Formats: sequence, structure tokens, C-alpha cells
Amino acid sequence: MGALALVFTGCLALLFIRLWFVQLAVGAEWARQADLNIVSVDSIAAPRGDIVDRNGIPLATSEPHLILEVDRAVLPLEVEGDVIQRLAAILDVSPTEVRKEVESAGSGLVATLTEFQIDSDTAYLVLEQRPNLPGVRLRTLPVRGYLRGDMMGHVLGHIGLPSLDDLEDQPWLDTNTPVGKLGVELEYEEFLQGTPGKVAYRVNPDGDILEEVGSLDPVQGSTLWLTLDVSTQEVVEGVLVEALDLANTLKEEDTDRVLPPAERAAAVVMEIDTGAILAMASHPGFEPQAFVGGIDVATFEELSSRQAFNNLVIQGLKPPASTFKVVTYVTAMEEGVFPQDVSSPEESIECSPQLAADFVDASQLVWRNWTYPESDGRQNLHEAFRRSCNVYFWEIALSIWRKYARTEQEGIVQGWAREVGFGRDTQVDLPFENEGILGDRQLFEEWQRNQPWRVRKEGWQGGDLMNLVVGQGSVLSTPLQLAVAYASILNGGVVYQPRVADRLESSGGDRVRTMERRVLRTIDIGSETVESLRADLAAVVESGTARRAFEDMGPTAALIGGKTGTAQAFTDQDGAFHDATAWFVGLAPIDDPRWVVAVMVDEGGSGGAVAAPAARAVFQHLFGQEVTPLVAGEDTER
Amino acid sequence: MAVGRAIEGVGGLFRDRPRPTPDVIMFVLTAGLLALGTVMVYSATHVRLGAETGDPTAAMRRQMLFAGLSLAAFIAGSMINYRRYRRIVFLIYGVTVAVLVAVLFFPPIQGASRWIPLWSFQFQPSEFAKVALVVVLAGFLAVRPSERLDWKRLGYALALTAVPGYLIFRQPDLGTMLVIGVIAIGILFVAGTGVKQMAVLLAAGVGGVTAVLRLDILRTYQVERLTGFFDQTADLQGANWNLYQSQIAIGSGQLFGRGLFQGTQTRLNFIPSQTSDFIFTAVGEQMGFVGGAAVIIVYAVLIWRILMVAAVTSDRFGALIAVGMASMLAFHVFVNIGMTIGLVPVTGLPLPFVSAGGSAMIAMAGGLGIVNSIWRTRTPARPGGPAP
Repeated sequence: MGALALVFTGCLALLFIRLWFVQLAVGAEWARQADLNIVSVDSIAAPRGDIVDRNGIPLATSEPHLILEVDRAVLPLEVEGDVIQRLAAILDVSPTEVRKEVESAGSGLVATLTEFQIDSDTAYLVLEQRPNLPGVRLRTLPVRGYLRGDMMGHVLGHIGLPSLDDLEDQPWLDTNTPVGKLGVELEYEEFLQGTPGKVAYRVNPDGDILEEVGSLDPVQGSTLWLTLDVSTQEVVEGVLVEALDLANTLKEEDTDRVLPPAERAAAVVMEIDTGAILAMASHPGFEPQAFVGGIDVATFEELSSRQAFNNLVIQGLKPPASTFKVVTYVTAMEEGVFPQDVSSPEESIECSPQLAADFVDASQLVWRNWTYPESDGRQNLHEAFRRSCNVYFWEIALSIWRKYARTEQEGIVQGWAREVGFGRDTQVDLPFENEGILGDRQLFEEWQRNQPWRVRKEGWQGGDLMNLVVGQGSVLSTPLQLAVAYASILNGGVVYQPRVADRLESSGGDRVRTMERRVLRTIDIGSETVESLRADLAAVVESGTARRAFEDMGPTAALIGGKTGTAQAFTDQDGAFHDATAWFVGLAPIDDPRWVVAVMVDEGGSGGAVAAPAARAVFQHLFGQEVTPLVAGEDTER
Repeated sequence: MAVGRAIEGVGGLFRDRPRPTPDVIMFVLTAGLLALGTVMVYSATHVRLGAETGDPTAAMRRQMLFAGLSLAAFIAGSMINYRRYRRIVFLIYGVTVAVLVAVLFFPPIQGASRWIPLWSFQFQPSEFAKVALVVVLAGFLAVRPSERLDWKRLGYALALTAVPGYLIFRQPDLGTMLVIGVIAIGILFVAGTGVKQMAVLLAAGVGGVTAVLRLDILRTYQVERLTGFFDQTADLQGANWNLYQSQIAIGSGQLFGRGLFQGTQTRLNFIPSQTSDFIFTAVGEQMGFVGGAAVIIVYAVLIWRILMVAAVTSDRFGALIAVGMASMLAFHVFVNIGMTIGLVPVTGLPLPFVSAGGSAMIAMAGGLGIVNSIWRTRTPARPGGPAP
């Protein structure tokens, strides 16, 4: 064992001697090497790609801003106080402010002094004083600029520093470079972010740059061309504000009741043969610029309390009400289901003030039409559609129930609804889309298992189907889903993916990617049905529930077809009264439709009175007419 | 055997103490090294972690947790009478081999299947296998009262060593495999291997290394590290980068070092694997020759204490355990520090108690605890005296 001890002693002695040699005999040379060895690699942030409208009008750009950085790893602690004093003098602010900013980064880290505006004079002073400002650097940083205030806020979205989740998913992200958080800023983040550059310097321990070792220029992100059109968007956003004013004026005129004010509205304009969205507006909105450099908590909370970040076009779920009747209409025509004793769309029944259903289940038995206590006369399918007669459509539901209850065929209306896009996402190229709800026996059974408070224990009943065929009860959809449904039926059965982005180009102008129009699915729908519906949609505007709303448009009104909708007012669980939701979905030119316009005014009252006039103003713009002020249309359907 | 007698002489100072007490020096030095490791890990990680995650102390807190567990392992090892292991050496051996087989089926990390994920930790069985092998070989070779080992028993001992050695080589973990070999040589040497047998072993060893180099069994990086060692000026950006950077860091520390948290090389992450295999560069740069030498002396004292336990215990099993632990510790220290200063080729072995890495710390602290248990029970209990 002594020998072993000797071996160990020898080994440790060797370490000792070698350590002495490395650190003391030649240590000075190594120390000199260490001084040469500090290579500082700086990342150069890439400017985010621009965002422009379909005509190239810039919406969001990247502007270089000068900022100051203090590298606390390089700034010796003994002189930190002096450096802060000097910086404060140059920036003409108090040393306490500068200290606060510098200390916002931990010791040994780089503090970015974004608080202070650096103009070229200040920059010059900093450069001149450089020897007295160890660790202080000037840097240009590209900063996002939104050029049009809150316009298209929901489509553009906003940026923000990456969250911990973002960093986990994409570990290569720089913690100081903002990323897209909402809208196309998020959806197209990978194209917009660009590629950061790098520059490597050899620096001495004081941080003085001895030489540049190498560099790589940053590459700006791609330019995103939207399908949206600034002029149409401007009109649509303005019309929504006007529609809310109109709704609230009507409420004030109503002396019988005190109604809650309308505060939210949304509208979308889409090309029916491509899925390209021309305008998408949701009110209230926000200014994306508020998020650049970090949004303050008070502003954020105020905006979120008003749900200003919600894009109601893709997230606002409401009962589509009578606008859903197109689905029931198509089902009736395609499946040949009509009210009892009626065998063709031309045969009429009495649109009575109320209907007594012969259910033996837990369903409601007496159903009142919106004209109650008046009768609306004898009507066939076309007339019932034009006058939005609920009784006729309820009779269709009753026929389905009598014939098909508890069979496969029971869900034929929902089958058509799902085909045209209800209860599923539209796959629009924007994040956080809401897919809505489309009720049927299966969904109710699922809810009874998972969320029993949502449905009564008896499950799916005939009354639920009656509600559904007129767009009430267990059907909830977004304005975009309605636009897609109308577009797909009226273009003959092609469901396109709605989209806000047209193409991506590199900052040099090369095409990076084109978002081709994309067919999601095709629906087998008879051309007779489409033709018949087209004529009836035109009749709604010509002589139906939307007639008065389009009067101001003059003869051009003949080119419009559409459908009003008014979702029932209700009192929620907390006892708060919610006024009816006003809807209008229109198409033009109705002979060979090109655009679909969907307007939703939350708690706006009647669709004919409020939403249809708003759509009229949008069509005026699309036809190049002067956009006239909104005037209330006919108060229908409630 | 002059040195052996000298050690016994010093040990004799304590021999007749009435009550077997724990080896306070061993405990204090171990705790001191654990504390040093915590500070060094912080110095090497706080800048990067602060910048990247905003939490500069994350690595240090982990190291502190492991240091705490290591002290607990030391105390646990001390409290358990080591003689109990003797009856279960083959159970220990079986479990060790089973776990070493199991680890090969876990998904590799950076090309090596060395770890078993446990919650948020990575359990590294080979670190515990080293300590286990010390106990197993000691138990197997201590059965004979005579000084001489026959060829048959020597052959069995080599076979016992070869199985875990091969499994660790398969991971692959060349450094740990070498430790296994060194442990075996240390224990066999003291267990009474004759000169002729030793000569045969050495010849076989040299032959084995040559075969490994010639037969392409090693991965390219392993060969590059070895050949790089022999020409340290070649390929400074590649295989010799670690060695070059680590010598710059240590060398620039000079006599008194650059001061704690002041070394540019340590703070700015020039050295890959700095918190694990190259932690000594942080010591060398920040604390200089004075600090580095002090650390070597601390290890020397620790090894001296362990060898003294081997010298004074009347139990052959305990003596062989102590010898094995001393061999393991000495080899780790020599290879780890040696590679950072260009004395031996780069091999991935942690610096005991200082390098980041929970398994190695806890296993070795537990091993020292066992040695301490031998120290506490070094003389048989006297009738009527206090229990050992």
C-alpha cells in the first residue's frame, strides 16, 4: 500500500508542477492570450417584413431607431457611477433615471436603454465621449411602425417580446426581439421575422473593439401583401361606427323600454370565387402601435375589458338567426322536405301568427311568428324566405321530425349546414378562430356526458330542431362562417379557404410564396336550387325585409341580394338583458355574384333596421357610388 | 513499505481513542469542495443564464441541491455499518449490472446512452457503478486470509471488472471505463497480486489499448482527443479547442487569479463543458495558482485520510474498500485537473465534488461515507465499551 501512496503522491506532485508551469512560468503569455481572446459577438436584429394592402399601400413597416446599450460585463463596477453621470449629462436626464435603466439588467448583462430618444447629435456626443464611456454602445434597432392607427388592427395583430412558451417552442428566438402575437403578425411570423445578422469583434477586457473578425448582414423579413383593400376597409370600419350610432339612436327613440346600448359590431367583405377577403373589421379595435416597446398595463386592461382584442369576424359567436334560413331553404329544395301536405316550393301555406306543435316530448308547444298577433298571409317557400316567415320554416322542421326523428336522416339540415361551413373552422389564415356550434343529437349526448349544465336532461328534441332551422338555439356562428356559407352556395358549391394574405415577397421583390386560392371541398348542390335562392335573395332586397334599407341606393339596389337576421333578445344567467343581434348577409352583383358582405351588430336590434343599411353603405362603395349616411330600415323579425 | 509504516505511525495517534468518532477532517474537506463547486458553477453560468432566461442562479441552485444530497449521502454512508455490505456483494453486483444494461435502452443524449431520466434529473448509473464495484471487488478479494492471490481468483476478479467495464464502454463512456480499470488495479495490487501477475496484467492492458486504437473500436472524436493530445498545436479550432481555451483560462489566472466573478474566459463562456469536466478552469482563472494549488492539496489530504483508514483498520474488507475509493478519487483528480492543464488527454471525468453533475457527487460522497464508516469501526468493540 505504501507503493500506492507513492504513486498517488507522484501524480499529485505532477499536477502541482504542471499547474505552476502553466500559471506562473508561462502564465503571462496565457494571460496576454486571454486579453486577445475576448471575442464579442453581437447579434444584429433583422427588420420585420413590411405589411402592405392589395395595392401596395404600406400598413406596417420597420424603421431604424438609434438606441444606447450598456454592457455591464465590460463596464467596471468602480467607474459605473461616473459613466452613468456622464451619460445622464449627454442625454439631459437625471442620473437616477439612467441608473434605473442600467440596473434593469443584472450585473454582467447588457442593458438596453430604450427609454431615451437618441438623435444624431446625442449619438455624436456619445461617440466623442467613447473613451470615457466603457461598455456603452450605440446600436440601431429596427422598430415596428404601424402607419394607419387602429385601422385593420385585428387583421394586422400586434407584436410583443417572446413569452416563455414561445422560447420553449423556438429556442433560437432572441429574448429582446419582439415576435408576432396576434393577427397576421403571428400567423406569418416565420416569414416576417427575417434573419438576424451577426458581427464578431475582438475586444480587450475593457470592451474596446480591437478589430472586427467577421460579420453577416441581417436579412429583412418578407413583405406580406394582404388581400385587403385600404379604401374598402376604411369604409367598412366607418360604417360599423355609424351602424352602432344608428342602433343606439333607435334604442333611445324606443320609449317603452330601456335597452342596453350596442357596443360591438363586425363586418367582412369577401370575394366569393377566390376566398380573398377585401375588408375585415371588428369594433371596438386597438392600435397595434401601442404594443411596440411594450404596452402599459392600464391601456391593456382598459382595452381588454372592452374585448377590443377580439376579432368578432372570426371569434364573435352569435345565433345567425334568419340568415341561417338559406341552409334550411337549400335542405328543403335538395331533400324535398316541405310543410305537411305541401309537395313543392310553389305551394303555399298560411303564415299564421302562431303555430301549435304536436310534440309529446319536453318541447315548447306554441311558437309565435315575429308578426304575432298578425298573420302574414299565405306564402310559399320563396315568399316565406323573402318575408322571413318562421312558421313556414318551423313546418319544414316538423316534417323532418315526423318523418325522420331518431334516424340518420334526422340531421339533414345540420348535414347541409356542416357542408357549407357551420360548426367547423373556415381555415382562415388568422390565429384563434372560433369554430362555432352546430347542435344535433350527437352533440347533445356529448354535452350530457361532459358539460351537463349546457343541455336539459331529455337530450335532443323536436323543439331543438325547430329552433335550429331558423338559426336560433343550438347554432352559433361567426360572421365569417356566414360569409363563407353564402359564398359557397351561391358560387355553385365550392368552399374556398377564406384568406387575408395574398403573397409574400422578399425585401428585394422576389416572390417567396403565393397563397393560391384553395378549395377546401365541393358541395353537390343543384343549379335549380342555386338559381331559385339567388332570385329569392334578390327579392328580399327588392320587396322583402331589406327593401327599405336599400331604398337609398337607387336602381343599383336591383343588383343586390341578401338576407336579414335578428337573433332573439335574451336575459342571461346573471339577469342582464341582451338585446337582439342584427345580421345582414348580402351578395352582389346578384346575377353573377362577386362579393359577399356579412354585417353583425351585437345587441344592435333588428337586422332589417340596422345591419341591412350598413351593408347597403358597403355595397355603395363596392359599386363606386357615393356612400350615403345610414338610415334605419324596416324593423322586422322581432 | 516505508510510507505505509509512516502512515500507520500517524494513524497511531488516534488509534487508542476510547470512542470511535467520525473523521471530521474528511467531512469538512468534502463539504468545502462542495461549496467551492457551487460558487464555481455560479461564476461560470450566471452571465449566460441571466441573459437567456433571466434566472442567473438556476444552475447554482441545482448544484446546491446536489451538494445537500451529497452531504446526506456521506452521512448515510457513515451511519451504516459497512460490514453489512459484505453479505450482499453479489446482490449489489447484480443490481449494478442490471441497471447498466437498462441504461443502454434509454434514448441517447448527444450520442451517448449514459442517463436514465428521473423527474427533472438525469440519473447516471455508471457513477454509482464505480462505488459499487469498489465494494464488490473488496468483498470478493478479502475472503482469503493469505497474502497471495491464485490465478483463478485473479481471473474471476478481472471478469467481475470486465462486465461493467464493457457495458460502460458501450454507452460509450471511455473515461468511466478507465476508472473501473484503475479501481480494479488498485484493489488487486493491495490484495496481494504478485509481481508476475501484475506484469501480465500490464502487458494485457497495453495490448488492449493498442488493439482498441488499431481496430477502429473508438469513435473518431475519441481518437482525435488522444492524437490531439500528442500534438497540442494542431487543430486549435477543432479537437484541441477545449484544451487550448482551458489553458488560456487557467494560465491567465497566474499567481492570485483574476478575482472571483472577474475572469473573462469563465464569464464569457469560451470553454465548452465548463461546469462539468472543465470546472477547474474556473478555479484556475479566478483564484490563480494559490487557489488551484490549494484545491490539489485538499484532494491530497482527502486521499491521505482514506489511505490511513486502509492502514489502521483491522478488517481486510474495509481496507480494500478504502484502497479502491482512494484509487478512484486520485484517478479522477489526476485526469480531470491534468487534462485542463495539458498533462493528460481530454477525458470526460468530473472533478470530484466540484463539477456539476448530481450522480457523480452523490455517489462519491456516499463512497466517502462508507470509508468514514470503516474509520468509525476500525477497532472491534471492546467488551463493555461503547458500541462502535
